[in-house]
Amino acid sequence: MENNVSHALLFLEEEVQYICLAFMALMYVIKISLLLKKPVPPEKAELKGDRVAGAFESLLNVLKPWSMESTRKNTYFYVEFLIFHIAVVLTIGATFLIPLTPQFMTPAVTQLFMIFMGLAFLIGLRRIHRRFTVPEIRIISSPDDFFAIILMTVFFATGFVALYFWLNKMPETAWMWIFFLMTTFFLLYVPFSKISHYILYPFGRVNFGRTFGGRGVTNTKAKSSDWNPTL
Amino acid sequence: MSEKAEKLGAEKERQWPTKTEFTPEMLAEMEKLLPSKLNRVVAASLAGCIHCGMCSDACHYSVSIPEDKTLVPAYKADKFRKWYKSRYDWMAKVFPSFVGAEPLTKELAEEMYDKLFGGCTMCRRCTVNCPMGVDYGMMVRAARSMMQQVGRVPQHLQDTVDTHYNAGNNMAVPQDEMIETIEWIEEELQDEEGCENFKIPVDKKGARYFLTLNPREPKYYPLTIQATAKVLNAAGVDFTISSRYWDLTNYALFNGNDPDAKLFSQWQVDDVKRLGCEYLLAGECGHGYRALRWELPNWVGGVPFKITSVLELFAKLILEKRIKLDKSVWDGTRFTYHDSCNIARSGGIWKEPRIVINAAANDFVEMEHHGPESFCCGGGGGALAMPEFTPRRIAAGKIKADEIRATGANVCLQSCHNCTDQLKEIIEHYHIDAKVMNLAELLSPALVL
Repeated sequence: MENNVSHALLFLEEEVQYICLAFMALMYVIKISLLLKKPVPPEKAELKGDRVAGAFESLLNVLKPWSMESTRKNTYFYVEFLIFHIAVVLTIGATFLIPLTPQFMTPAVTQLFMIFMGLAFLIGLRRIHRRFTVPEIRIISSPDDFFAIILMTVFFATGFVALYFWLNKMPETAWMWIFFLMTTFFLLYVPFSKISHYILYPFGRVNFGRTFGGRGVTNTKAKSSDWNPTL
Repeated sequence: MSEKAEKLGAEKERQWPTKTEFTPEMLAEMEKLLPSKLNRVVAASLAGCIHCGMCSDACHYSVSIPEDKTLVPAYKADKFRKWYKSRYDWMAKVFPSFVGAEPLTKELAEEMYDKLFGGCTMCRRCTVNCPMGVDYGMMVRAARSMMQQVGRVPQHLQDTVDTHYNAGNNMAVPQDEMIETIEWIEEELQDEEGCENFKIPVDKKGARYFLTLNPREPKYYPLTIQATAKVLNAAGVDFTISSRYWDLTNYALFNGNDPDAKLFSQWQVDDVKRLGCEYLLAGECGHGYRALRWELPNWVGGVPFKITSVLELFAKLILEKRIKLDKSVWDGTRFTYHDSCNIARSGGIWKEPRIVINAAANDFVEMEHHGPESFCCGGGGGALAMPEFTPRRIAAGKIKADEIRATGANVCLQSCHNCTDQLKEIIEHYHIDAKVMNLAELLSPALVL
């Protein structure tokens, strides 16, 4: 596939994106450094388990739906989550691949991306419905929660249609313009929204894994049999 | 006892000034305190919630009282989070309501008080079910800590801490009364067949294990001390009980007052050093075990001795065949076991109780949720010391009551005195035909001496 588009669209796809990406990276660096400045609670107790192994296990928790009752008993919800987040990665990936390595976006690859975007769009609709209609979800939802899921759902839909035209050798359409304008908006908006939760995910999971791993709850490799009579 | 009883606890007595409502001055003080409470775990937990709602099925409050959606963990935590966001969230600086940020007002603070003292036992079941790893226990304790500092704390909970501060134990058991009680229990123990030579040493220097107790034991449940001492004697365990700081409870874990938590811990550390014991041994008490085993070393900056629990010791004695048990004494009795949150989920002990139970009884049935996934009974987090929230506490125990009933057990075993009292209450309230026992009481009659 070739990306034969106007100079204006190419400017949006490349220079504008790079500037916005740099802004996003700067915001994340500030965000992460602010969190890293916070003191870590000390752990002076003799450990029953391994804190480092616990942290690694905890980070991989996202791939182990059986490890938490909340995902174990909600398999459908977990599968939705998985597809949705794979679609996020692919959609963001498409915004890089289209301008930088358009030859990679072959019909087969484009169709695969479209399948995930299409599914994620449907999942997004279901999640919007859930947020509006399930009382315990609605009561905890802020406007940012609604806006974020609606924005993502529209983004998937736009990306899907833009790629449809791309597949049909129409790389410059209004849909592609909207797709990249939305990407630009995302890069500027996400650091300030709940969508940036993936930056916080490692912190939460590592904190959890260190605490519960060290105590032998999630990682039972005891350092000493004093603390584990079953050894 | 001929010697004069020693004055234990702090030199100067105090009564923490409590308030019945938040004032502007208290809110201003809380604003000053907030930055000091934001360690990396609390800050990441406040910023990290994505409102996915996965915690709603994890909490005994929201599961047992489904009609009240304000008991969903994310909602409860949001009362604190809204305030945090108003101070630290970037978007909230421009569009506060867009991200659900709210300044700390009297109304928000009162909601925090209601939900974080009266609607959460800091059991961390939502934490282990949170995809983001949000540590609700740490977060709620931080919020409680600030409210307590300014005086907005449940009176009875604060009284418990003040009593510990003033008397050295949370029920103000005088030293002479404690020693007399232990001597009486020792006599009762020696009256049991085969126990004539059993001892309950007090202040024995160089004993291997420094056994700690929950003050409810000498006050209301002396038979549990007798049962524990019987097991330890039968196994030839070298232990002692201190006449000074024998109370393993630390309710400052619940009200969030770190200086008090540290002070109570330091008394115990100094007492273990005084007697030169190798192990600080936590008796059957949920939060007491966690406070000693996992929090005390952090509060005092490390300890020169080891800390363990009687549950681990009992299991060790059984695996090393140092005690012999006759299971037939419990024939006809079905047991189930309730895992205290602070022992299993926050403490890492859930296999050991099962070693003990399976060695002493033939008929043991697990509840649907057990081990680290066990539901809180509703008595954790100091809930039993907050009578103003009693109806909600009893209602929140329904899921546990239902699970006990489903096992068909005659006896619900547990290893925590707060759980004991809560389980007894919910068993009666929900009309379940079962009694509540701890593990020492299970082992004691089955001992072959």
